[in-house]
Parts: sequence; structure tokens; C-alpha cells
Amino acid sequence: METLFDLRNISYSYVGKIDALKDISLKVGRGEQVSILGSNGSGKSTLLAILDGLIYPTSGEFYAFDNQITEEVFDSIKENDFRTYFRTKVGFVFQNSDVQLFSPTVFDEIAFGPLQLDMTAEDVEARVDDVLEMMDIVKLRDRTPHTLSGGEKKKVCIATVLVNNPDVLLLDEPTAGLDPRTQLWLTELLQELGEAGKTVITATHDLEVIDQISERAIVIGEDHRIKVDGSTLDVLGDMALLLSVNLIHEHMHFHGKAVHEHLHAHKGEHLHQHKT
Amino acid sequence: MLPEWMKEVDVGPCRFSAVYHGKKGFVGKTIDGIFGFLQEAFVSETYAKRPGFLQGLDPRAKMISILCLVFATSVITNLNLLIFTYALTLMLAYLSKINIAFFIKRVWLFIPIFAGIIAVPAIFNIISPGDLLIQVAYLGKEAHLGPFSLPESIYITKQGLNVAIVFTMRVAACVSAVVLLFITTPQQVLFKSLHSVGVPKIYVLTLEMAYRYVFLLMDLVREMYVAKKARTIKSRSMFEEQKWVGGRMGYTLIRSLDMSEKVHMAMMSRGYNGDVKIMKQFKMHNRDYAAVAAAASLSTLLVLISHNIIQV
Repeated sequence: METLFDLRNISYSYVGKIDALKDISLKVGRGEQVSILGSNGSGKSTLLAILDGLIYPTSGEFYAFDNQITEEVFDSIKENDFRTYFRTKVGFVFQNSDVQLFSPTVFDEIAFGPLQLDMTAEDVEARVDDVLEMMDIVKLRDRTPHTLSGGEKKKVCIATVLVNNPDVLLLDEPTAGLDPRTQLWLTELLQELGEAGKTVITATHDLEVIDQISERAIVIGEDHRIKVDGSTLDVLGDMALLLSVNLIHEHMHFHGKAVHEHLHAHKGEHLHQHKT
Repeated sequence: MLPEWMKEVDVGPCRFSAVYHGKKGFVGKTIDGIFGFLQEAFVSETYAKRPGFLQGLDPRAKMISILCLVFATSVITNLNLLIFTYALTLMLAYLSKINIAFFIKRVWLFIPIFAGIIAVPAIFNIISPGDLLIQVAYLGKEAHLGPFSLPESIYITKQGLNVAIVFTMRVAACVSAVVLLFITTPQQVLFKSLHSVGVPKIYVLTLEMAYRYVFLLMDLVREMYVAKKARTIKSRSMFEEQKWVGGRMGYTLIRSLDMSEKVHMAMMSRGYNGDVKIMKQFKMHNRDYAAVAAAASLSTLLVLISHNIIQV
């Protein structure tokens, strides 16, 4: 499998003192579906920002598409073919939808990317309409982004990224704050994108969806280092690991995939074996 | 569900290579500047935690002492006394375990802006008539600038230069004293101690909240920039960038207004009824009284010497 991202001994610290990542080495191949798991503050979002060339490692090396990504290469004002290629191929859905939406209307927001791809006005419009329809947000077309609900904002954010048809999709806590129906819709969308051959990397601490959206799970511990990099099912089966990295607590329990088929807020509906 | 064009995946190798492409854009540089400030604020906070001389004083005692010194400095006219006061602030910085180079840099960064605008014109004979020191230009007799008549020649005067140096030194000493207060006191303690010198509680609360939310809004600005960067495929023109900055400024204002309303509601839901209550946990020790007494005496002495009431 062709390697898209290659991180070699990467560390990152904010303002030189607050550690976010320590000694991270990993590779991501084309078409992989990967979940990055970790508790709050473990460094998941930082890792995604590095993968998207938005921040640069304090130490270590990051390669994407066989090129080393450095500040000197990426943060220049001049036109830059590699950066254009990278930004076309890699899409990032931020955790905070508000920061991602900056245009006057939903249509303008979604059209922002395709307009930069030198597409004709008709093609841009057709593409935006396709995405609006696919995301079931046609009625939001002329709305101002800041008047939307949380779930609608998230849908628009995903639309703004998908409209460029990136090969790699980075998602930061995509299911956080979404209602169950929107969560299910998003899970199915990510599955479909995965089946189409897209590389999907999702940072989350929502254990209920990861086996549906990824085959591989990378667990980052509270010490900001990779604890495990393996199959999602193995990770989900390792209770001791999940406990140690603060992804579950002692009163949580699993039903495997059954968790998505019934309400979890129940009493006496069926038996559980709780750990005490 | 996916449109056909979205199912296409480009499996070919990347045709471009990463090479250095010159300078950063102005938005990037500005955001870097903002973060530089944040970083400095963090560094300053670490100074406030060091076990130094000023850090050990009660914040109220420290504030009153520093204010005494600032008052004295602003009425002193003698250059030697001003240099002495400035040296005193450097010594206090040293005793408070502050990096002297950092301290000097922080103080002198602002001085050219304030002092430069006011002090530089004062050195010329147009503003400060006096003895000729260096001739700058000869304009000839009956020179005019529109309706204004100009002197025969423009020159730097001895008296003007003295005024400018005294002014700059005074600003340096005052700013040094205030910077000392700021970097040796944690922000929240500093704001609380303002109340003890007569600042109304509502202003103290407003200041505390403003300081907290400035950081939050700065974070929002940084995130917006990063999110835009993630979606910017091609470099955009300066005009486009400026348009984006303008739009984001408006948005940040809307967000901050919205947030202020929500914060107020959150305060009300926790029992706030317009009457601010501040918890004070300060305790004055003997050394604090001694510090206030020493600062007040020294300040009085400096003023008296400067005005020749006491001859040295």
C-alpha cells in the first residue's frame, strides 16, 4: 500500500512548554480508515493539525506524498504547486464548526474551495448543488452560517471539504454534539467514502462509532505518546488498555455492535455484567 | 449517496515537490505576532511565580509602593535623580529574579513610540528656544511656511535636548516601575489588589473578565486563520486577504457581543445581581508595611531634592 503520511519521531509543544505530542512515529497508507483515540488533551487535534500541514512539529520529521512538510515550504505567500496539490488532496473538518465557516451564505461557503480549483462558474454551481443534495441541506443554501444549528453547521463544514473531492479526509471529533440521527448519517457517509477508496482519519474519543468507521486504531495516552497502533477490534477488546488511557471508566460496558441497535438509557431491558 | 465525481480517487504519484517559496503572508505574520505576545504573557506569568523580592510582597503594598515611585518620577526634573530611579528599578528587577535583558527589552520597546513622538520635536529651537548646539538647516531671513513665519535657522538647542532626555528618562523609569508591578504579580491578584487602592469593584471585575476573554477571542482568531489556511488551495491576493480579515473582525465582534450576553446570563444563573463580590485573601506582613514606608519616604525625598527643598 502506498504511504501517504509518514511521521518520524514527532514531538510538539505549545509555546515551548505545554507538551501535546511526544515521539510519535506512524505511517498512513492510501485508502486506510484510521481512528485516532485518546482522552481530552492527549494531543489528537494537534496530530491532525500536523497531518494537515497547519502546524509544524517542534522536533521530528513529517512527510506527506513523499515530501517533507516544513514551515518554509508551506507558509509562503507565493504560489506553491505542492501546497496547492496538498490542499486539494487533503480535507480537514474542524471540531469547532464556527471557525471553519467564514462566508456570507452557505452556498458561498461551499463554493469557496471549487472556485480556487479554477472550475467554471457552471461547474462550481453544479458541484455545490450536488453536495447540498447529498448532505440534505438544500434548504440551507442561502442561509448565513452563524444562524445554523450545531448539527447543520457540522453538515455544512463537511460539505465545504467534500466539495473539493479530497482523497484524504481528516476529521476532528466529528460526532461530538450531534443528535443520534445525524451521528448515524455521518457514520454511513464515512463508510461510503471509505468504500470509495478515500483515506479517512478520524480523531475521536467516541468508542461507539470507531469500529464502524475504521479498521485501524491508534491510541494516544495521557502522556501524549502512542500506546497502541493496531486493529480497531483488538483495541476495543483490550479493556485494560482503554482504562489506562482514560477512554473508559470502570462502570462502562460494551455490547459490541449491539450498542447501536437499542437505547442505552435503559433499566432491566437486558442483563449486563458490570465491573465493580 | 455519493455523487459520481466524489467516488474518483487520484491514485497517481504526487507530481510536485516541496520547495521553499519565499516569505510568509501578512495575515500569517500578524497571527505570529499575536502569538508572540501570548508567549510573552506566559513568560511573564512565570516571573510572577518566582521566589523573588517583589513577588514576596503583598500585592497591595507593592502597588502602593510602585505608584508612589511613579508619582515621584513624574514630578522629578533632575536628570541624575531620574537615572537613579531607573537604576533602582533595574536593581529591583534583579532582586526579583527577572532576566535583566528581557526586562530592558520589554521597557524600551514602547519608549521610542511614546517618547519619540513627543521628545524629538522638543529638541529643536522651534519648540524649545535656547542655546545653539547643532545647526540643522538655514532657512534665511523672513522664511515662511504658509501663513506661519519660521526662524532664520533651525537648530537643536541645549535646553531642548535636555528636555527631551529628561522626558525620555522619566518615561523609561515610570514604564519600568509599572512593568515591574505587572510581571511580578499574577494577573488575577493584580486586578484584585486594584480594588484596595480605590478602583470600584465593577471595574475590577470587568478588567478580570476582559483579560480572560481577550485570550479566548485571540484563540478564536487563530483557529479561524488555521481553518482558512486548511481550505486555501491557492495563494490569494492581498485584497482578498484584507477582505477576509475585515470580515473576520466583524464576525469576532458579533461573537464577542453574543458571548458577553451569554456570560452575563451564566453569571445571573449563578446568583449575580449586579453587586460584585470580590474575595480578598491578602495579608499584610511587617515587611509589606516596611516596603510601603520605604517607597513613600524615598519618593518624598526624591521630590524634595529635585525641587531643591533639600540640598544634597
